[in-house]
Amino acid sequence: MTTPVLRRVVRRETHSPRSVAFAVVVLVAIILALYVAVELVLALAAQPALLVRPVAALEWLAGLPGNAPVAAGVAGGLVVAAIGLWLVVLAVAPGRLSKHEVDAGGRVAVIDNGVLAAALAQRVSDEIGVARDRVTVGVAHRSVDVTVRPGAGIPVDKTQVTSLADAEIAALKLARPVRTRVRIARPDDEEKAA
Amino acid sequence: MNDTNRALNRTVLMIVGVILLIGGGAAATAAALPAVGDVWTSSGKAAVDALRAAGDATAIPGTALSWAVIGAAVIAIVIAVVLFASLTTLVSRRSRTVLRSSGSQTPLGRVTITEGFAADAVKNSLAREGDVVAASVTAHTVRDEPVLHVSITARQGADPRRVVDHVDRLMDGLAAVTGADTAAYISIHGGLRSRFASDAARVS
Repeated sequence: MTTPVLRRVVRRETHSPRSVAFAVVVLVAIILALYVAVELVLALAAQPALLVRPVAALEWLAGLPGNAPVAAGVAGGLVVAAIGLWLVVLAVAPGRLSKHEVDAGGRVAVIDNGVLAAALAQRVSDEIGVARDRVTVGVAHRSVDVTVRPGAGIPVDKTQVTSLADAEIAALKLARPVRTRVRIARPDDEEKAA
Repeated sequence: MNDTNRALNRTVLMIVGVILLIGGGAAATAAALPAVGDVWTSSGKAAVDALRAAGDATAIPGTALSWAVIGAAVIAIVIAVVLFASLTTLVSRRSRTVLRSSGSQTPLGRVTITEGFAADAVKNSLAREGDVVAASVTAHTVRDEPVLHVSITARQGADPRRVVDHVDRLMDGLAAVTGADTAAYISIHGGLRSRFASDAARVS
């Protein structure tokens, strides 16, 4: 029983609302609009402008290609275009948050990737007898990376770690399947020192 | 979970982004290519002249005022106000959500269960759970349906599957007690709080 309502909740909890970018853009636009209004009122009252009269500003903008150095014009235009492109990407990209949905019967559950990683690392460390701080686990949207640095002379069976990690991930019942990658790191200097 | 209008957020970002992209691209091209620069300058001059003409045409006789400038100022202020109003959509409105109300047909009268009851029940049950550092329960109304949100900060290294199953059973119990199987959403977080919490008791 995952109702449309719960599907909607999960969708909202696992994707960024883009509120920060929205707030910044709207705040900048509000400041701009208020500034333009102030300049227009000052121009109406025949008072000196705060910075520049609106018509003079537009004239400066129109004359830019001829007046400003070419490099400055190109650079300025490209910076503005880059900001625009970035906003378009923010608007279109899904903005997935680093969380995984897990099966919870009729209810829904969402778990931070960091929590999943910590749990996996703890379990791997307990099972193969390697210190917890020598096991690094990264959980991403589609993959899980397990890195074990057992230290010099301590044998670790890679297939054992892989099957252990796979079993543990299967037990978590993630809604989206992930690929597991296991690495046994044996830095040269550690080996030599031993 | 809040009422933020995400479609609005993304639409505004899209519109502003496209405007900046086109404007910036045009300015860069105009600066780089003299031919395009001439078009930019001549059309810009034409636009400025048109604005001047509009200002002169609507000048109020006997004063330095002109209706076009007054109108432009009013439009700028209205835009600022509308934008400010759109910012308030970011602030979520929360009201006390009623999980179940029996109406008044029972012999006892009306029975109403609010989120506070569910929150206390779940929090007390989770207080003894070693894997849970902190828990909070809130109720929201999503599309006119109450949804309980159980938010849990798990202890570092805790098995989230166990926590989820435990909460799931708690919610089953709550449903049995209240007679309303409210839709529930469980979220498990890590973060600083779980990192700095003491290790779970080794003997239990």
